[in-house]
Amino acid sequence: MTVIQEYLAPRTLEELTRLVGDGEAAIYAGGTDLGPRWNKDVVEKPATVIDVKAIAELHGVRVDGEEVVIGACTLMSQIEADPMLRKSAGALAPAAGRVACPQIRNRATIGGNLCNASPAADTAVPLILLDAEVELASVGDDGVVRRRVPITEFFTGPGSTCRKPGEVLTCVRFKPLPDTTSCAWDKFGTRPAMEIAVASVGVMLEQADGVVKRARVGYGSVAPTPLRGHKAEAELAGKRLTAEVIERVTAAARDEINPISDVRAGAEYRRTVIGVMLGRMLNDAAGA
Amino acid sequence: MPQVLDTLDLAFEVNGDAVSVKVPPGATLLDALRDALELTGTKLGCGEGECGACSVLLDGRVVNSCLVLAAECAGAKIVTIEGLAANGKLHAIQQAFVDQGAIQCGFCTPGMIMATHALLADNPTPSEADAKRALEGNLCRCTGYRKILDAVLSLANGGVAHD
Repeated sequence: MTVIQEYLAPRTLEELTRLVGDGEAAIYAGGTDLGPRWNKDVVEKPATVIDVKAIAELHGVRVDGEEVVIGACTLMSQIEADPMLRKSAGALAPAAGRVACPQIRNRATIGGNLCNASPAADTAVPLILLDAEVELASVGDDGVVRRRVPITEFFTGPGSTCRKPGEVLTCVRFKPLPDTTSCAWDKFGTRPAMEIAVASVGVMLEQADGVVKRARVGYGSVAPTPLRGHKAEAELAGKRLTAEVIERVTAAARDEINPISDVRAGAEYRRTVIGVMLGRMLNDAAGA
Repeated sequence: MPQVLDTLDLAFEVNGDAVSVKVPPGATLLDALRDALELTGTKLGCGEGECGACSVLLDGRVVNSCLVLAAECAGAKIVTIEGLAANGKLHAIQQAFVDQGAIQCGFCTPGMIMATHALLADNPTPSEADAKRALEGNLCRCTGYRKILDAVLSLANGGVAHD
């Protein structure tokens, strides 16, 4: 058994990127994923913990030009309550409010939710609907180097992302959704609280005169990563939301996901649940 | 190489008192409260954020103290179950739990009361749905949820002033 020997809390991003170095240390924010694993000895405790919460620029929601920026350390409870996000971030604020329980929402950060890279991460599908990007920072010859990655490319498998050793996630960026769009998102589990989604699905629609001008679909817990629903989107584009179209969209959704059977649900059940949830959302949108 | 530390000297505030503790760098806030400060009202239940028995207020927010590193609490204000009663008199929330019989084995009670405290600070007149949502991270293994909700709602209905 290993022990944590050192706790570091850098105050600037530059200091953080220098400390992160080869990636051996644990980058620590809310501790709601790392803490349980350390307490239960599921993983070796790191010798060094780098707490990122003392870095001011990693906190809060702000506007930068045409984009909304959410700092990596912004809490689920802050995202849930933020007036700007409630207005212009589609399903993100409601989804943040469905994470676990108040004690966890008061600690869990959006950066941690994404870097933990669970296929069930509750903020991932809403961010797919926003076509969001994440910003990764590392140390370069002349200070901090930043790059952006689309959310759909960030996840590479269960628990893994394209974040390289030495890189830290600094923020999430997206263009606010216009008032002409509508978003729906839901997750399914055996109880409303404290539930890792058995399956989740979301849809963003922009309709004009009853015709879908633009659609984005995303799925959670039904593939090795959160997944964008390109086939379902293609079935929606340019269509009216008739019963026939909705049937084709949900069939495409069931077809393009790749769920597994595990302790929480069977693969076929997950396919069914995705179709039912998405069908309900589209029926609601058709009636709106 | 950065300096390797065996223990940390931490100063923070617990229940209104300035305290200082020496703990290992990996100690949790719960470890610091129970072992270093001997405030054993806060309980270790699951150790993974499922049960809420270790709930405390950290700078006004209810959190699971088993998932907080003590090291990050330097300078913070912490309130535990021991901080609620004053002058030998139970806090209104504690009294409501007693009055409603919302205690069976008592293990979950400190966490339930701290979560209720956070709820009422934010929303003095919660509905039953609000109360359920506020306590969704707290498990009662005796399954005494009905009376716990009754206790919370007895406070919500204006019966007792909340400080």
